[in-house]
Amino acid sequence: MRRRSFFRVAGATVAASTLVLAGCADDPVAPDLSTPGTLNLGSGDIGVLNYAYLLEQLEAAFYQKVLDSPPTDFTPAELAAFTELRDHEVIHREFFKQVLGTSGIPTMTFDFTSISFTSRASVLAAARTFEDVGVAAYNGAGKLLTTKATLGQLSKIASVEARHAAFIRDLLQLSPFADVVETSGPFTGAATALTPAQVVEAIAKFTPFLVIIADLPTS
Amino acid sequence: MNILKLLADLSAVDPDSYERISGRRGVLASLGQTGRRAVAAAVPLAFGTVLQKAYGRRAATIVDAFSLALTLEYLESDFYTRALASTSLVFPGNTRTVFQAIAQHEQDHVTFLQKVLADSGVAVPAKPKFDFTGSKNNTRPALYADVFQNFGTFLKVAQLLEDTGVRAYKGQVETLATDNDLLEGALRIHAVEARHAAHIRGMRRTLLGANVRNWISTRDEVITTPGVTDAVYAGEEVARQGLIDLVNYFPTDTSQILTGTKEQVTISLGEAFDEPMTATTASNIASLFIYV
Repeated sequence: MRRRSFFRVAGATVAASTLVLAGCADDPVAPDLSTPGTLNLGSGDIGVLNYAYLLEQLEAAFYQKVLDSPPTDFTPAELAAFTELRDHEVIHREFFKQVLGTSGIPTMTFDFTSISFTSRASVLAAARTFEDVGVAAYNGAGKLLTTKATLGQLSKIASVEARHAAFIRDLLQLSPFADVVETSGPFTGAATALTPAQVVEAIAKFTPFLVIIADLPTS
Repeated sequence: MNILKLLADLSAVDPDSYERISGRRGVLASLGQTGRRAVAAAVPLAFGTVLQKAYGRRAATIVDAFSLALTLEYLESDFYTRALASTSLVFPGNTRTVFQAIAQHEQDHVTFLQKVLADSGVAVPAKPKFDFTGSKNNTRPALYADVFQNFGTFLKVAQLLEDTGVRAYKGQVETLATDNDLLEGALRIHAVEARHAAHIRGMRRTLLGANVRNWISTRDEVITTPGVTDAVYAGEEVARQGLIDLVNYFPTDTSQILTGTKEQVTISLGEAFDEPMTATTASNIASLFIYV
């Protein structure tokens, strides 16, 4: 079945991804990108992996844009570090692309118009958002997975994102742990975690499409 | 049950699994001819038993995972408490404030883990005796004689302990996969340890001029001792993730997406993933600073 016709049959709804995985493994999960533009992450572990893939795409695209035309007040050391950050995020992005294969979301285009790429302060502030949100997203995503190996794999990336986040905070001379470590409640001393809904909201201004998370696992 | 898929997944998370299950001294061999026939006849049932045999001697229960974590948190908590109390250790700039925050986190982690173990009806392990010089209470030569006098030595040991913590928690997350609350707790503590490690690495670079990144890299200057502390980073550099071979995936010379040569790409791949550590390795590292 050709992709188009398959999705007409399946209704191009979120459920399509499940159907694809169940019966049409060779067909990609084609998101519905018609106006106003939606991106359906899918369900199960695939959906969670697509969620991580989306975040890594966003981070990689951001760092690449910084490197394309770096702020003039970036120091050489900062430029070198941002190159490493870009490389790490590209690796994460391509890792998920390979793992997901035909179940992966497509390469997305992001809206970075809210960031002033000529300003070091603006770039660092944006980097802080991406990294802190990324860590919190991974912290909340682990329990959504059912495959142990996938869980282990995501944890390998999560701590690297935490290292990135700490580095950016140092550059901004921010208090290292404010707002990212719980100071009360049952998880006192643990890092903050965000649900997919909270993450999608936090990155909404960078995603000129509606991210549909309705079929992601909730526990 | 897809046995091949399961084996592939296992080898992805545990490179030794194939040898352990099917190698010469492995479980399949030890089953003997009858056992192998039984496996062939009733693979799904038998395979679970095989896995249990192969892994049963490891710290595979949640209680074991949390007991290990508690030992490491006792270690870190005591380490920072003593450092902050030392009258001969000078904390430059705002670093005392940062370490006060870190010490509080470690104490919070101890409290969290103690509660989990107590709620599970398990006897909470007592805090061991620590000697952070590594001399085991003066019964052998010290590894870090001036750990609470010299800020540079203190930061080195702190980095080793935090990076060990990150890897040790990571080694236990799959054990915790069946319990969402504990898994989330462990993952979230794990992320704090990673932030600690990264800030401490940053202090070494910016305050002391050390050649070290905020993430673990083979480009960092070596601070471990062969045969003693090198287990902290052993295996951390692997570039290949399970069945995904990115080493041969990225273009090399004319790369538009990654900088540098294949050698540099391999280094970047090692940096981009933090690797887990077995419970045994983590215990061995902790024991460098424990005496009885």
